[in-house]
Amino acid sequence: MAAVLKTSPGPGTAQSGSSRDHRGSPIPTGAMIATRFTELRKRRGLMIALIVVNIGIPTLFLTVRLLAHAFDPKSYGPAGGYSIYTGLVAGVMYVFGFIVAATLGCTAGSVDLSEGMFRHLVVTGRSRLALYLARIPAGLAIVVPLVAIGFTIVCAVCVFAAPTKLSYDGVNVPVGLSRAGLENWAEAHANEVICNFGLRVGPSTPKADLNSVLDNVRCGNGVQFGPPSVSGGAKPTEAEIKGVAAQIARTDYADYASQFLYPSNSLMIKSGLWLELEALIGLVVGLGLASLLGQRTISVILMIVLEVILTPIFSRTRIPHLLNLQRAVVGVATAHLTPGGLPVLGGGGGGPGGGNGNPLLIPESTTVAVCVIIAWLVVWTALGAWRMMTRDA
Amino acid sequence: MSATALADASHRLAAESQWAVETHGLTKRFGENVAVDGVELLVPRGCAFGYLGPNGAGKTTLIRVLLGLTHADAGTMSLLGYLVPKHRDVALARVGAIVDEPRFHGHLTGKENLQILAAAREPESRDRIGPSLERVGLAGRADDKVSKYSMGMRQRLGVAACLIGDPQLLILDEPMNGLDPAGMAEIRDMILALVAEGRTVVLSSHLLDEVERTCDAVAIVDRGKIIRQGPISELLAGASLMLQVECSEPDRARALIEGANIAARIEVGQLGLGISLPGGTPRDVAAEINRILVTEGIAVYRLQEVQASLEAWFLQVTSRLGAP
Repeated sequence: MAAVLKTSPGPGTAQSGSSRDHRGSPIPTGAMIATRFTELRKRRGLMIALIVVNIGIPTLFLTVRLLAHAFDPKSYGPAGGYSIYTGLVAGVMYVFGFIVAATLGCTAGSVDLSEGMFRHLVVTGRSRLALYLARIPAGLAIVVPLVAIGFTIVCAVCVFAAPTKLSYDGVNVPVGLSRAGLENWAEAHANEVICNFGLRVGPSTPKADLNSVLDNVRCGNGVQFGPPSVSGGAKPTEAEIKGVAAQIARTDYADYASQFLYPSNSLMIKSGLWLELEALIGLVVGLGLASLLGQRTISVILMIVLEVILTPIFSRTRIPHLLNLQRAVVGVATAHLTPGGLPVLGGGGGGPGGGNGNPLLIPESTTVAVCVIIAWLVVWTALGAWRMMTRDA
Repeated sequence: MSATALADASHRLAAESQWAVETHGLTKRFGENVAVDGVELLVPRGCAFGYLGPNGAGKTTLIRVLLGLTHADAGTMSLLGYLVPKHRDVALARVGAIVDEPRFHGHLTGKENLQILAAAREPESRDRIGPSLERVGLAGRADDKVSKYSMGMRQRLGVAACLIGDPQLLILDEPMNGLDPAGMAEIRDMILALVAEGRTVVLSSHLLDEVERTCDAVAIVDRGKIIRQGPISELLAGASLMLQVECSEPDRARALIEGANIAARIEVGQLGLGISLPGGTPRDVAAEINRILVTEGIAVYRLQEVQASLEAWFLQVTSRLGAP
């Protein structure tokens, strides 16, 4: 206790400092953001949980698939590939990324209060708004790399451990064929095509020819594909069978063309940005909610309920008179921004047009979806900041 | 007049103010309960000022209002000459405070906690972290997690958190809580050293003895109101005069003094007579009592004026107010 504070000749130098550091300004300083980042990063339990959920689960899943395929490639397919990618990104990382970001946001929004630091910070005279806003970039500095690392691992495995042949409706088909190429290939593998390819029959398809062929093609162990022909018509010729196979290939081509061995660069970039957007929303909304409520646990529970229960319900169920309210749910809006090629939350392919191409989703334009997302970010930031500025410390 | 000129004028006026803390009619209510009731407080610059009151008197609430931790319902206040909350940021830049029990992020070290607080202050405050920790005796434990700190160490860290702002005014709410006698002595010495450097220290405490040893002036608060304030020496001068008399016949002595028409409250105890004379009573009265007793043949073995303590005076003042 004998040492003296020797950094200044006497009290009062803080006055000149205060006029320089713009303490009343609502804009947080770099140092405030950096120390807030350190405070969050050093929460060991939280960081482990975030890493496990965001990176560990997809990595473990892919590692098991890699090992299984390496040891028994006949029983277990390749670890990566397009379908694994879409399943992981849309089914796991989308939901978990949101929950991870929301948990971090809820923590950032409540711990100063619960751990008694809020009072110390307010006494510094620093703008409460600046104290609040410093948490957003600090949280993003943690959650964005976390999501990016998990996503990069998924992309890497799905690209480099992708199957070499496309399994279309259970049949190994060469990838990247043109329409004519697929028809030619189908003629050469007529029985496989007729027995396994889905029949995407259009209004112009001549059904009589199809029925005649389908009734007489034997699949697998000599099992007849269709019911025995009651008409007792003539057995189709080889040429007719090939013609039907080519016809099926023609009707399936649009679907086949959307199948890939691994995700395209464009899809990966869009998916990555989409996941980061979801994480940003989770962080900002979680921060605002926790700041408003003043405690973490309830806020985290509410965020999980929003993501896991309410969003799927509001995305799919058309509640009369409440459609506009449903459209205002942020999860519904982000589902509409799902990149084309990814399945939409809760099942159903996004299709070429992304979320908007999915007929199961309640209808919402992209403009409205973007507006809803911006509104959620602004409103929750405003609510959290308002509570922080008016709260008794 | 430009904004810069206005700010300069504001700084000049603030610097000229003789009061570190000044409140007028400050009021804070919690529903029906008035925690701070029209407080008129004047704390001179450059002194150690004690803020005393029984539990629930509104001491901490007043401090929280002063620091902007909660809003006032009525009244005006200024810190270091700056009106608060109007110039709160400028005023608080030069104030360090501990309110209630100091709590920090337990998963961070003491130094990291101070870094968070320094980041919210001016850039120079980061250079003061090391010296502040050294000053409060925590330099050796600066890299330990706060969760491993004792209550006393957290108190010291709270003081260090005040010092990183190089404050002109320190407001310490019960800073001796959780400290052992040696720690209390260290904090006491530090407060005196801070005052010697020209800083003002406002000390809220229920430890009257500590306040008496540390502070130059005090304010007594009860039920949200300040009932006395001023330099301790002046306040005690108005306290009742206590005489302790050891004599041969205490009961007869009591009767004689009461019969002499001296305004006094007399109690007979094991040590003899305890005589309480109203504040302002001339010391000649003690000589008169002695003369009466000796004249009546009572042997006086000892007649001693008991120095009024802050504690005795505090109890006197607050118990009088507490009476129905």
